[in-house]
Amino acid sequence: MSTPDLAPLGVAGVGRSGPRISDPRSIPEIVLEAVESALADATCGYDDVDAVVTASVDLFDGLTASNIAVTEVVGAVMRPETRIAGDGLLAAIHAACQLWAGAYETVLVVAHSKPSMAPADLTPWAMDPIHLQPLGASFTACAGLQARVLTLDDPDAEGRWAERAARLSTLAGRPTSPAEVSASSVVASPLRERMRAPLADGAYAAVLSRGEASVLLRGAGHDLCAHSPGDRDLRHWDGLTRAAGRAYAVAGIDDPADAFGCVEPACLYPHEEDLFTAATGTGPDTPVSPTGGLFGGAVPVGAGLSRLVEATRALRAEPSLRRVLAHGTWGPAGQGQALTILEAA
Amino acid sequence: MRSVAVVGTGQTKHARRRDDVSQAELVREAADAALADADMCAEDIEAVLIGNMELFEGRGLPELWVGGGAYGTGKPVMKVATGGTSGTSTAIAAFHQVGSGLFDRVLAVGFEKHSEGHTQTGMALTDPFWDRAVASGALGNFALSVSQYVAAGHATEDQAALVAVKARRNAARNPHAHLQMPDLTVDEVLASKMLAHPLRMLDMCPQSDGAAAIIVASDAVAREHNPRPAWVKATATRHDQCYIGDLDRRLLSMRTLRDASAHAYTQAGITDPVRDLDVAEIYEPCTYAELAWYEALGFCEAGEAGRLVEKGVTSMTGALPVNPSGGVLSTNPVGASGVIRVAEAACQIHGRAGQRQVERADLALATGYGVYAWADVVVLGSEP
Repeated sequence: MSTPDLAPLGVAGVGRSGPRISDPRSIPEIVLEAVESALADATCGYDDVDAVVTASVDLFDGLTASNIAVTEVVGAVMRPETRIAGDGLLAAIHAACQLWAGAYETVLVVAHSKPSMAPADLTPWAMDPIHLQPLGASFTACAGLQARVLTLDDPDAEGRWAERAARLSTLAGRPTSPAEVSASSVVASPLRERMRAPLADGAYAAVLSRGEASVLLRGAGHDLCAHSPGDRDLRHWDGLTRAAGRAYAVAGIDDPADAFGCVEPACLYPHEEDLFTAATGTGPDTPVSPTGGLFGGAVPVGAGLSRLVEATRALRAEPSLRRVLAHGTWGPAGQGQALTILEAA
Repeated sequence: MRSVAVVGTGQTKHARRRDDVSQAELVREAADAALADADMCAEDIEAVLIGNMELFEGRGLPELWVGGGAYGTGKPVMKVATGGTSGTSTAIAAFHQVGSGLFDRVLAVGFEKHSEGHTQTGMALTDPFWDRAVASGALGNFALSVSQYVAAGHATEDQAALVAVKARRNAARNPHAHLQMPDLTVDEVLASKMLAHPLRMLDMCPQSDGAAAIIVASDAVAREHNPRPAWVKATATRHDQCYIGDLDRRLLSMRTLRDASAHAYTQAGITDPVRDLDVAEIYEPCTYAELAWYEALGFCEAGEAGRLVEKGVTSMTGALPVNPSGGVLSTNPVGASGVIRVAEAACQIHGRAGQRQVERADLALATGYGVYAWADVVVLGSEP
């Protein structure tokens, strides 16, 4: 595969609804707010959108073809809609492909989830039903397993992670001390309750276009690792390294250590930030999650797109950042990885 | 968009139960067949798209587990899920990803293993406030729509039975097809069990375990893998409102398929579909739907679809053979069914359809139908 020469795309508008720990509204109401805010931000209306790419997961919504619930509020009636059943950043990447292909001029990307509806952790149902689910494996258990592996070579890791979780929670508006993090209950040893970004309801939307905008999408990449944690070296996010390599090639980035004004990783746990930094090759001085990242509220499926929204806002507020990396991950122990590279125009 | 083509197709043997394989192995079976057809190895594939309706197997994010079966490990992988149109939408997504310039060779694979779940339960997970109690599942929805279609005088039960016979006899020439009923008669269709008036057992599609894959390549490499690629001439997708009360006379209007096909025909330069198309693989979940689709696709005027099938226009020897594969009426692994339509249309262009090959296939139509009258249309041709 040769390195494609792709024109930058415009991020014409972004919007969100939430995140809220428990939003009493229905999914369509939550999504409508995000879509209307993105369209208003892009100073356009439904009629200006050629196609829609949605992201939702049926199991999480308890609905078959769960984009049915949002067809009208995303403006997909009698329009092309593609539903990506995975992280919202994948939906943004597919929308970028549609635009790069010249299929459309303007595409609306929307991702949502409402985990407050679910009575319990549903992720065991996303694990290999023959070898892993019967063992009780879940995304949380796999995160704990990955963190445990990292502590084998780094005995100080837990303390550092507690400090990081406290910092991120505080940045997100929930003042927390490292001692409080370390005193919270264990969810999957060595991970503790307050080391985990809080699950939240919400929706995110972005309007991407082939036109000009103050923020440009310059590169994108994604990857899927082997499913079983036993088939991977859990000390690394190799999938993210591959995804980053693809995105950097498109964006023409040779030295990621000096390429970004800040990065917006979609890390549910503090140990994942270590994995993210190593995998992307971003420098130690690069600011990470300046507004607290997912610790302000982690919306499943929406998480990756939330980072794109945040990165866009950061670049608009501070164009001197030049370039921001927005990241998404899903599956057990970072099995799925995606990233986009945004630049100030 | 740069020119892209389908250069390889592969299908599993479809059956009510495939207990001999896991979901991942089922996908691998289709992927291997497509790779062999395109004279490729797994390393040639740069990205993978998967189509599946996860709740039919009672799973979540199945691509995490099944992705390896599609040779997706260490590669970009996405899953597309839009109900019955999952397969055609997955194919269209692959067209766009290759068209973008990011990839030259993409594998798109759809699968469903209904025997490991309970499809009606999955289909019943609709809007909990309005739809779930009154109109959940394919059968109830179609019974309402078909009743309106019949009441309006657009088809008779004899004409619908002819569609059932055509489909199952065509399937007898397709080694992949689930239902094999080479000697089925109209009388047998009309004598089959009434499920929900006017729909009888043999008016409906089966539930199948199966997978289908296509390999999509850019113009830069397509002819390396197939001497006669099936070039993508046009695609169109239309979704619609979800509540059945908002879509009165759904089968009679079928505005999504009408609009999508009109758009696709314009892209492909088609002015008279029966004359211009050489073969069509349409997603017909029940016999009456095939007749309604004839009208929506412009094969005939409103109310004339029954006479089209009576005259044999859409038979294997007619002016426009429809569903030489036996269609969804003979094979229906939902997440794969749309991929099968595109694969069968491509196979006809490739000239590799075996006993179901039509005489001359230079322009082929594939459609997808899903959820609440959602429609996909794909036109493939022998020239870019």
